[in-house]
Amino acid sequence: MAKISAPKNNREFIDACVASGDAVRIKQEVDWDNEAGAIVRRVCELGEAAPFMENIKDYPGFSYFGAPLSTYRRMAIALGMDPASTLPQIGAEYLKRTNSEPIAPVIVDRRDAPCKENILLGDDVDLCKLPVPLVHDGDGGRYVGTWHGVITKHPVRGDVNWGMYRQMMWDGRTMSGAVFPFSDLGKTLTDYYLPRGEGCPFATAIGLSPLAAMAACAPSPIPEPELTGMLAGEAVRLVKCETNDLEVPADAEIIIEGMILPDYKVEEGPFGEYTGYRTSPRDFRVTFRVDAITYRNNATMTISNMGVPQDEGQLLRSFSLGLELEKLLKSQGIPVTGVYMHPRSTHHMMIVGVKPTYAGIAMQIAQLAFGSKLGPWFHMVMVVDDQTDIFNWDEVYHAFCTRCNPERGIHVFKNTTGTALYPHATPHERKYSIGSKVLFDCLWPVDWDKTNDVPTVVSFKNVYPKDIQEKVVNNWADYGFRGAKK
Amino acid sequence: MANKWEVFVMDLGELAEGKELELTIRTLNDGLHKYTYQRAKVEVSSKLDQFADSLQVRLGRGQLSDRKFSIRVIERVERLPAQYR
Repeated sequence: MAKISAPKNNREFIDACVASGDAVRIKQEVDWDNEAGAIVRRVCELGEAAPFMENIKDYPGFSYFGAPLSTYRRMAIALGMDPASTLPQIGAEYLKRTNSEPIAPVIVDRRDAPCKENILLGDDVDLCKLPVPLVHDGDGGRYVGTWHGVITKHPVRGDVNWGMYRQMMWDGRTMSGAVFPFSDLGKTLTDYYLPRGEGCPFATAIGLSPLAAMAACAPSPIPEPELTGMLAGEAVRLVKCETNDLEVPADAEIIIEGMILPDYKVEEGPFGEYTGYRTSPRDFRVTFRVDAITYRNNATMTISNMGVPQDEGQLLRSFSLGLELEKLLKSQGIPVTGVYMHPRSTHHMMIVGVKPTYAGIAMQIAQLAFGSKLGPWFHMVMVVDDQTDIFNWDEVYHAFCTRCNPERGIHVFKNTTGTALYPHATPHERKYSIGSKVLFDCLWPVDWDKTNDVPTVVSFKNVYPKDIQEKVVNNWADYGFRGAKK
Repeated sequence: MANKWEVFVMDLGELAEGKELELTIRTLNDGLHKYTYQRAKVEVSSKLDQFADSLQVRLGRGQLSDRKFSIRVIERVERLPAQYR
């Protein structure tokens, strides 16, 4: 594989984004109380450059980096690619790297770990010493973790998990978070710690390298430290925690160490979520007790502001869910031509292109998709044929509206796994993660005669002879056209 | 100095007057600890001059209620088990 030249940490990433015009330095003072969140939200809604806020009210020396991966350009920069790379190019690169050999992390001495430059222990521990922002007005609290990794380890299997579980500051030493029962951490808690009444050690890493954040967000079966190494083309540097045996990214900006309590819960939420709503109710949720805080000099806190499209939660999650499903379907020998989630679907609709070579192929795809580990994160699968450009919503929408038979093409799956964040779910379904799913089969039935029964697509590229197409295209300007306005 | 507090409720009926309540409240006082929580025994009143401190109310999805209260914090309640303190 060619040498990968991706930013190794959050600081290199910010520099690269500033250099390409994909981030702006904000020198004037920004208030952590709503103002920073409002800036990031507007950036997401306008598709603007990422804000690097260098002067935070009440917190001299700290800075914020908002909306780190809310555009495909910044995703390309994170991967060390040309910012102008197309989405299919970025996807192909992701698949190439994540299909390579895993790269194990390396453990470094704490003297070589920038995240140990400042260490707060004992009575010095106070989350309020960090510039924890109030991201949205009306949120249940200031959110410590919006773009980060919560690091845990299964004590028997040894599985390491870096997951992006939102974390709210309840008081100076307590955080609460939304951990769904079907998530990796949720399973570890219900499988091991909660039945034993034991605390689960955790470490929250904020200001990760963009590829570590990408790994923490990806629903891949590959452990995140190895996945980060595969994406970066080199081993990720880890260092041991101060108060437990977990290992954390040595170059992270901020590390929060502690214990998930097995028998004590405090309230969490509400919070502006990736669906574009505040949906999940305020409730007593998983509670994190903090034992230590370590951070780099002049630490930068990363902020994601979830809301209406599009933010990095939607963009990156759509990206990785789609590509991981593509891997799964291909591993089962299904002739998929591509899988794509439009970020504006808030990663709820999976669009699958396939060569419809046998009957029931759309149902097989839906059953695999919904039945997989990826399934709880989306509730719609739309299957189109290999002639439909899955990245072109106009084509997909046309296929959906014309080929999906209302009686035979729509299949509802009841009593599946859902999330508390589904806006369409009832309060009861949200509380217990009960879901339902739907397949939109937009394929022509294989038992239709391809000559006489399957309708012909009437489009410029499909109905005219090639020589006529070329003649018309070549003469377009001469006809007097000046380019279509869209 | 009077303190400013905020509480989240699903229904304003949770804020019964004339009796002691146990609520999770957060401080709205300016400073580094703004928005941090505590559990407390309190008394609330819709008469804004009844108690020195003020209480702002938010509903289940963060909507700000137009109902205002005054509040007296009687005592802090520590629910955290001793072994974790």
